[in-house]
Amino acid sequence: MLLLQLLINGVQVGALYALIAVGFSLIFGSTRIFHFAHGSAFTIAAYVFYDLVSIEQIHWLIAVLGASVAAVLFGLVLNRFVYVPIQKHEGSFFTVFVASFGVGIIVQNLCGMLFGRAFVAVNSPLSQSMELLPGLYVAPLSGIAIIIAVVFFVGLQLFLSRTHTGMAMRALSENPELVRAYGLSPRRLSMTVFALGSFLAVPAALLSAAGSGLNPAIGHHVMLISLAATIVGGVGSLRGAACAGVLLGLAENLSLAWFEPQWSEAITFIVLFLFILFRPSGFFGRVTAS
Amino acid sequence: MLAYILNLATLICINAVLAITLNFIMGYAGIFSIAHAIFFGVGAYTAAYVALHASASIFLVIPVAMLVAGALSLVLALPALRVRGEYFVAASLGLQVLGVTVFSEWKSVTGGLGGMIGIPPADIFGFAVTDPVQFLLLAICCLIPVLLITSVLLRSSFGRNLKAIRDSESAAHAFGKNVAIIKTMSVVISAMLAAVAGALYAFYMGFINVESFMLDTSVLLMAMVIIGGTGTLLGPIVGTVLLMLLPGIFSYMTFLPQTEIGSIQQIAYGLAMVLLMIYRPGGIVGSGKPRITKEKAA
Amino acid sequence: MIKFSKAITAGVLACTLAASAAAHAADVTIGALFPLSGPNGSYGDIFGSGVNLAVEHINADNLLGGKLSIQYEDSQALPQAGVIGMNKLVNVQKVPYVLSAFTGVSKAISTIATRTKTVAVNGGGVGPDLAELGQYFWNMIPLANYEVRAIIPYLVNERKMKNFVLVYVDDPLGQAIKKEMEAALPTAGGKLLEALSVPATAQQFGGIAARVRAANPDVIYVASYGSQQSQIVKQFRDNGIKQQFASYTAFSIPQINAQSEAVGSLYTSQDIGWESQDSVTKRFVDDYKKKYNRMPTAYIANYYNCVRLFGLLAQQLIKKGLPVTGENLLKQRLETKTFDMVGGQVVFAENGTVSMPIQINEIDGRGGKVVRAAGK
Repeated sequence: MLLLQLLINGVQVGALYALIAVGFSLIFGSTRIFHFAHGSAFTIAAYVFYDLVSIEQIHWLIAVLGASVAAVLFGLVLNRFVYVPIQKHEGSFFTVFVASFGVGIIVQNLCGMLFGRAFVAVNSPLSQSMELLPGLYVAPLSGIAIIIAVVFFVGLQLFLSRTHTGMAMRALSENPELVRAYGLSPRRLSMTVFALGSFLAVPAALLSAAGSGLNPAIGHHVMLISLAATIVGGVGSLRGAACAGVLLGLAENLSLAWFEPQWSEAITFIVLFLFILFRPSGFFGRVTAS
Repeated sequence: MLAYILNLATLICINAVLAITLNFIMGYAGIFSIAHAIFFGVGAYTAAYVALHASASIFLVIPVAMLVAGALSLVLALPALRVRGEYFVAASLGLQVLGVTVFSEWKSVTGGLGGMIGIPPADIFGFAVTDPVQFLLLAICCLIPVLLITSVLLRSSFGRNLKAIRDSESAAHAFGKNVAIIKTMSVVISAMLAAVAGALYAFYMGFINVESFMLDTSVLLMAMVIIGGTGTLLGPIVGTVLLMLLPGIFSYMTFLPQTEIGSIQQIAYGLAMVLLMIYRPGGIVGSGKPRITKEKAA
Repeated sequence: MIKFSKAITAGVLACTLAASAAAHAADVTIGALFPLSGPNGSYGDIFGSGVNLAVEHINADNLLGGKLSIQYEDSQALPQAGVIGMNKLVNVQKVPYVLSAFTGVSKAISTIATRTKTVAVNGGGVGPDLAELGQYFWNMIPLANYEVRAIIPYLVNERKMKNFVLVYVDDPLGQAIKKEMEAALPTAGGKLLEALSVPATAQQFGGIAARVRAANPDVIYVASYGSQQSQIVKQFRDNGIKQQFASYTAFSIPQINAQSEAVGSLYTSQDIGWESQDSVTKRFVDDYKKKYNRMPTAYIANYYNCVRLFGLLAQQLIKKGLPVTGENLLKQRLETKTFDMVGGQVVFAENGTVSMPIQINEIDGRGGKVVRAAGK
């Protein structure tokens, strides 16, 4: 029963990881920008939600809207004022990375200053688990997480394959020049990509706020997982990122059955390391390393 | 006040060694590693272990630390041979996280989260270096050789090979350069010299624990190199001095609320990173414009 | 919480201004290495409130002839930052006496304390290895072994709980508590079913909760601190764990006492006779209540006592015409041995530790109550 419980925990956590990873993978795959501050979009969404619901006592639907707007705005502003100027100078990959990391530090500390560094949570009855089977506890929140993840993912796939913007985004990752030749603006597309990618972090952020609680450092962990999932899944493949996200969630939880908890994070990265050594293109990647 | 300046100067020397060695692989070999803090840590822990259990003589401690770090760096060299760019960053990230977990868990050797206390002072021919001024001299005496070694290497054919590999690996290969060996050697050298900084650090603090060797440190080192200017000799030193002076300036601003100074320092770091990358991506010492590196190609 | 930081800010600013304005020869500065930021920042506020009150009292009584001020440095509860702060206090401010907190930080700065002959006093950390950090390191709080030994017989005999699961943070404190439990439980008639360690930075405890449930204990001892212990409590309850929680002094902070999921938890703390009529205790309790509108807790009293200890020792040194240095403070403490502190008389052992009666408290959501007074 322990294994089953850990399995379910793993799937739930994995669903959230998958959502966040897909957001990062979308941005990275389309624009090749190492958006390390993706974790900050998550943090911002979560704290805005917490602030509106718990402190300002506003209805949660409006809070969800507020959090989404905040995250999307963050992604857009960052792209416009940090990444685009750097790219104009033909900044290298790592220039962007360092800048992104800097943004992450700033957001983390601002949240700490505004909301305190202690852990906070949005109190919701949905986070309390119920005993479905003897020894098996699942919270309504977990079920909601999985459903939302599936819905979003399906929606995303439809968007990318059926709409013009979606197809243009996919084209962007393969050949920005060609996109320009067709009269589309890569810059405009990047903005859309950032908006969408950041938006994808929102559901996971809200669910975390109600479930396991928040503190300003939470973006860090989220970011590492997204990165690992993107690479293991294969850069450029959203399906891969999602699957890898679920896989990492499962690995993190199932490992508890046999190993001490301190090794969970390390296990995620051992998996990542091994993939890079033996299969850098990940599960479904099209692009292999040079 | 003097003691505080000495303290700062010593830490700057130690970090400069780290920045120089990181620049060696980043700026010249194009190997962007976020795991440098781990080699720093391996050097420090090895030094502490040897000093506590065998002898505190630096002529024993430093070479042993260098050997252990060099051996371990082969683990990092493996992915370096297979992938580049973001993949390598991710692999080094994996090594970094793994290293931190090992440091925290291997309690018998590293003391776990509690770290190792009571490290004896460095011993040179029977003379214990306890005075801060003497230690600063020792630190400088380690910094200069590291600087010399790296600049000599870079000016030699080895250095030219490195740059060739950085600019176009396949071309270097076509010219018959044994890319694998050269890359591995550069990683090993970088790690060995970083271990020197680790040993110095262990002697200086008298106490080490895993907090000093985490991802934040690795990124800080990378920032020092990039802000100073990759691929230049002076760049890492400039970057180190700048980033080490920054927090000190804030803690003297007594009009800021004490409870928030830690956060404000961090925000200052973050801002420095962002603004410098936007306005001077080549780094301070660099030309101001970055080199177009190979990583841009998909 | 906001009141505390305002108080500390005001206190620091006032002290800084006062110190710079009146450069008396008899003015003394002591240092405090507290977590002022980071996930354990709330402890800094808590400890600081006791410290500031003590400084006020000492200056009001003019114990030292000159003004006493306190310089705070932020350790963030991290050993590395603590060492840097300690260096600053010792080398720049040249303080003879530093208040320390958190086992990890204390261990880290102890080497500097010994090397520079600066006294470091701990009023909050409880790791037993704090007793072995050299003669310049003193402890104003009974260490964890006492706390664990106090609660186990109560849980086993009075509450009839024999099966324990220990969830401990994987650092010196957690490891010490684990060692203590492994030694004390069998003799008391209990059993340690499982000892689960959590990384100090962990925030997700769903998986661990599953393992705890699988072990099916009567009581779960939580050896953590700061925001992590709140997360453990919340997530465990959310994951269907209904059993009793038990812990040590770390549970005395307001954050846990206000948490609905923590109601019913039992924890040990020093027995400070708050109702005691001796002048020191009464003045402390009355003034604290007046200033902060709530009852103080053991941590606050300890740090008040740490500062008071300095005041008493320094006073005697000044009377004798000796300079107030770490070395002299140590000598004076060895000479005096007993001191009138908040909570009664405190006796220092040679190794710089104190033993105090321990009481057992229960969280009831309304300020807590004592379920077993000291004396066991």
